[in-house]
Amino acid sequence: MPHALFSIAGWEAPITERSSPEAVSVPPMARDRAAAEDAALLAWAAAGDRLAFDQLATRHLPALYRIGLRITGSGAEAEEVAQEALLRAWRHAARFDPARGKVGTWLCSIASHAAIDRARRAAPLPLEAAPETADPAPDPEAALAARQRQALLDAALRELPPRQRAALALAHDQGLSGADAAAALSISTRALEGLLRRARGLLASRLRGILD
Amino acid sequence: MRIETFARLLDTHGADPVCWPPASAAAARALLASSEEARALHRRALALASALDESLPGPDAETLARMRARLARAVAAAPLPEPPRAAPGGWLRPCAGWLRPLWPAGCGALVTLALCLLWLNLAPAPTAQPWLGAPPLLAMLELPE
Repeated sequence: MPHALFSIAGWEAPITERSSPEAVSVPPMARDRAAAEDAALLAWAAAGDRLAFDQLATRHLPALYRIGLRITGSGAEAEEVAQEALLRAWRHAARFDPARGKVGTWLCSIASHAAIDRARRAAPLPLEAAPETADPAPDPEAALAARQRQALLDAALRELPPRQRAALALAHDQGLSGADAAAALSISTRALEGLLRRARGLLASRLRGILD
Repeated sequence: MRIETFARLLDTHGADPVCWPPASAAAARALLASSEEARALHRRALALASALDESLPGPDAETLARMRARLARAVAAAPLPEPPRAAPGGWLRPCAGWLRPLWPAGCGALVTLALCLLWLNLAPAPTAQPWLGAPPLLAMLELPE
């Protein structure tokens, strides 16, 4: 079963238990989409409001791209992950239950599951395809050291299993709480802590001489 | 807190004390204040966090615009969101909720039943008792002359 199927199912509530947000009753012409909260935008999107969904997507695209980039290691794949996650969110917008978590966490969950699926299908990333990062150091020696550290870190990240990279993407990069990150990955908090511990342990061991 | 526990805390929750669990944060801070080894571990964890932050660039403006345009086209072409599914079970849901506390007893009964069936299948077939057969009984009933 594809990993991505878990991302929708865990957040879905039966229709009889779902609270209907009052935001849906606002007529489309009177909607202030730029000021609306994510939950209201998603509720409007569930009713077919594409402008509301565009607003929601604009807010979350950078975060979803970064999740995809961390897990897949490829900018092109990260774009696909963000697109796939948001399209999936559009299709299943009516199933989201605001009582079970934030919209942002739900989107992160969809993106991380989609990225894990892609990372498992893809061949190991060649070194040349690693994303280039901007080099802020003006000093050539410092720039060289930074590049070396970056290359080591990229190589170490590629050694991590996709689920460990996903744990880092959610808990470290996105700053989600342990409970939210665990819910997004459909695992227990204890399992998430294990993933993070193993991931950070491996990275620290690979960068031992550099981090000191 | 021991230094091994502190190292494990850093690996699990990162270098930012805000993210440490409240139950162990005070002890970790105390160790950090008193132990040079703990401070070295914390510096290493901070350096790793910083390296991770620097290794993840966000999308540039051009990429972001391209992604927005592609998504807008895809959403415009996609059908409207699927309506929510009805609750599974329908009218059975209240009954299922009422019966939920009884499921351990039900599972126990099923396991017992399965064990009984297994025992009946594995038990050896009863052998014919020579003194219970029809001829001995008839012989016993025959009156002596």
